[in-house]
Amino acid sequence: MSCGELERLFLAGASPEAVRRHAGGCATCARLNADLESTAEMSAGLVLPPLAASLRKSLLEIPRRTVSCDGAERLLPFAVEGEIGADDERRLASHLSRCAACAEAAETLLGSRDLAQPIAPPWLAARLTAARPAKERGLWAWILDPKAVIAVAYAAALLVMLLGFNPADLARRVRSGQIGENTRAAVTVAESSLTDRVGALQEKIARTFAIWKGRAGGYGRAAVSNAMMFLWKSSTTKERGGERSRNRDGRGAFKGTEMTNTSWRA
Amino acid sequence: MSAEEKTLVDRCRQGEDDAWRELVDRFGQKVYSVAYHFTLNREDAEELSQEIFLKTFENLHRYDGSFPLVAWLLSISRNLCIDRYRRKKREKSFRFVSDDAVAPLLKSTDDPAAEALKKERTKLLFSAIAEIPEDLAEILVLRDLDGLAYDEIGKMLELPDGTVKSRLFRARAEVARRIRERHERRGSAGAFQTLALAAGGVL
Repeated sequence: MSCGELERLFLAGASPEAVRRHAGGCATCARLNADLESTAEMSAGLVLPPLAASLRKSLLEIPRRTVSCDGAERLLPFAVEGEIGADDERRLASHLSRCAACAEAAETLLGSRDLAQPIAPPWLAARLTAARPAKERGLWAWILDPKAVIAVAYAAALLVMLLGFNPADLARRVRSGQIGENTRAAVTVAESSLTDRVGALQEKIARTFAIWKGRAGGYGRAAVSNAMMFLWKSSTTKERGGERSRNRDGRGAFKGTEMTNTSWRA
Repeated sequence: MSAEEKTLVDRCRQGEDDAWRELVDRFGQKVYSVAYHFTLNREDAEELSQEIFLKTFENLHRYDGSFPLVAWLLSISRNLCIDRYRRKKREKSFRFVSDDAVAPLLKSTDDPAAEALKKERTKLLFSAIAEIPEDLAEILVLRDLDGLAYDEIGKMLELPDGTVKSRLFRARAEVARRIRERHERRGSAGAFQTLALAAGGVL
């Protein structure tokens, strides 16, 4: 057994001379040191085994025989889709045979192709047919749709209500100058236009009424006049004692009067 | 150094053939050497080297440049080497190292006697290495036969430099003691010293 000093010197990186100095004075270490030097000479005389040219060539072709994990990650999607070339497929298979992680990923991805297709329930086709959107309608069809017109009208009314629009209030604000010049001018124009229309309508109504009133008055007066005339003539005939009334020239008389007189006479 | 090696690895990842050729030429010999020392068989060493470089290529994205590329390159394939080494030990092929196994490790010489002596000494060395514990033999091979630096071995095995040196000393002492004992068992007292002296003369 050595005294342990040789190991301490070795770990301290001591020079060979320092080791020999110690070994010279220590019998146990001297024997070990001799054995160590002999063994060191044995290994120092060896050379490295030569790398064969065929092995070097084979090593250089490794990128064409396999792919890295990066490459496998890029190729796997194509393999799943079946769009991978023969060379790439061979390289990928070579890699998967040695890389457990990539092999598991590939097995998971490629296995998804073999999953059974789910069976559609019998009611699905009918529901899908019913849910199919109707034939596309044109813009005019949408505009002229009665439902759309009603909806727009309601929306406009609701909007007016929500905005608190009041024509009377607007006119009042125009007079009091609470709104802008342009708005006031527009409202004034609208108001005057409305006034003109209302005035024209009133005038037309009054004229029509006057015409009808005039006609009614004329008919009325004529009726009253005839009635008065009738009454007056009747009273005159009674006073003459049945004498036939004659015209100024004495040749005739009113028919009615004549008939009446006849009946009276009878 | 690591930054330059990181650049080289990145170029390899991008598919540059020149970069991969540079990586193979720079580290191919060292990887093959380690594989050979663990297997002492040309076919096994070549197969192991291919496996190491295949794994290296497939795992290039894992290299972050934080330590020497050769250490990383050997560390990711260490299990392969150790597995092969254990199998060899179970088969006891290390105990009976053949002439052909050590022939590639010897310098060619015109002196057949000296060559035969060197061959015997090398076989003796590998037989002794096979007898020591695995963790010691591993460091001895990487340091004394493959010439890796202490920090490269430490990074590869994830050990501090002090532990690497301590195990290396113990490995050398164990190997030296076993070689001497083997000579002593043969009954040729002093033969080891004679052999060593003769070898020193040859070297």
